[in-house]
Amino acid sequence: MHKKFYFIHEQARIYVIYLLLLLCGTSLNAQTKMSIAEANTLKVTVKALSDKTETITADFVQYKHLDFLSNDIESNGKLAFKSPNMVKWEYVKPFSYSVLFKNETLFINDNGNKSDMDMGSNKIFKQLNQLITASIKGDMFDDSEFEVSYFKKEGKSEVHFNPKDKQFAEFIKSFQITFNTKGEVQEVKMIEPSDDYTQIVFSNRTTNQPLSDAIFAQ
Amino acid sequence: MRYLLSNLLVIAFVSCASYPKKKGLTEIDLSQKTISNPYFSDASKDYVYKANIQAFGNSFSGIFIVKKLGEKHHRIAFTTEMGNKIFDFTFHGEDFKVNHILKKMNKKILVNILRKDFRVLVSENLSVEKTFKEGSNAIFETQIANEKYYHFIFKENLTKVYRVGNGKEKVEYIFSEISHNIAKHIEISHQNFDLTIDLEAIK
Repeated sequence: MHKKFYFIHEQARIYVIYLLLLLCGTSLNAQTKMSIAEANTLKVTVKALSDKTETITADFVQYKHLDFLSNDIESNGKLAFKSPNMVKWEYVKPFSYSVLFKNETLFINDNGNKSDMDMGSNKIFKQLNQLITASIKGDMFDDSEFEVSYFKKEGKSEVHFNPKDKQFAEFIKSFQITFNTKGEVQEVKMIEPSDDYTQIVFSNRTTNQPLSDAIFAQ
Repeated sequence: MRYLLSNLLVIAFVSCASYPKKKGLTEIDLSQKTISNPYFSDASKDYVYKANIQAFGNSFSGIFIVKKLGEKHHRIAFTTEMGNKIFDFTFHGEDFKVNHILKKMNKKILVNILRKDFRVLVSENLSVEKTFKEGSNAIFETQIANEKYYHFIFKENLTKVYRVGNGKEKVEYIFSEISHNIAKHIEISHQNFDLTIDLEAIK
């Protein structure tokens, strides 16, 4: 009886060790922390690219993940950016809706219904604008506002920004940007305190093409 | 004095008159003892709507999501177009739980309004208390969370619901563009204060 119990105990221990190894192995494969030198190289690459970026256009697909849903809610659209801080974020499908950040004002066009909001007085919107601009350009390594950590993942770089501001952390627990080797933003993931998230994947990126002001007209 | 008293009685009688009486609805005797609201009844579906909300002079929009998780068990969430969650509620039997709500919106009075409004959407099977007829509509008197409702069924589709209090319509629900148990357009409007929720199916 005693022997049998010992055997089970031993077997359980082996399983636990095996499981731990498996978990470690998986996480090593998926993601490793960057060294300080690697993180600095990434910052320099992204900053250099960002500094010479005057305009960006790209398509995006947004996946809203809510744990209780069978499928992520998918929407897609286009974005346009003009230095220093004009951003138009436009959903095309399955609904027509755009937000334009311009001169400290947020202009909303909800399928023809237009409204605007002064962001000057709204800290959250200011930070949201900062996040959106930064997530397009990638240049947001501001550690006074965020806890920043750097990872390598399948040849790409992933940077996690966790807001320090409590009011902001109510909306977003972590903001994660994936960069390709050129230092371009490929993907953005906003994780909510509940672990539900919004993932945005960019494609067809063009940079420094002249963009007419009409794109940014409200 | 007697004149005044009888007048008062008439007024009291009129204001206490039931909703069907006020509307001149004819009570009919139908064998149907239950009705169902099929619009959020399929657990394999994610119900996703673009929402426009007009409230107290403000207007805002977002994505309204309903998911049936089991018998008498639904989750209802509202996010911005960019995905940030505004609120997230669970309805399970008689229970109601706030999983998340923005701090600014976390006011008891507002949560209660939303709880009542959305409970109607996910109340699937209802016992019929009385049945009336108005033109080609069959109207079923029901109860949800101890409040009186009238469900209008036209050509086998649930097209309208009224929440009624003191014989008056308080909240109107209109279901339109109905096909395959999905109401592509839903409008919830409060009659005694400025709140309208307009939903357009996108999935």
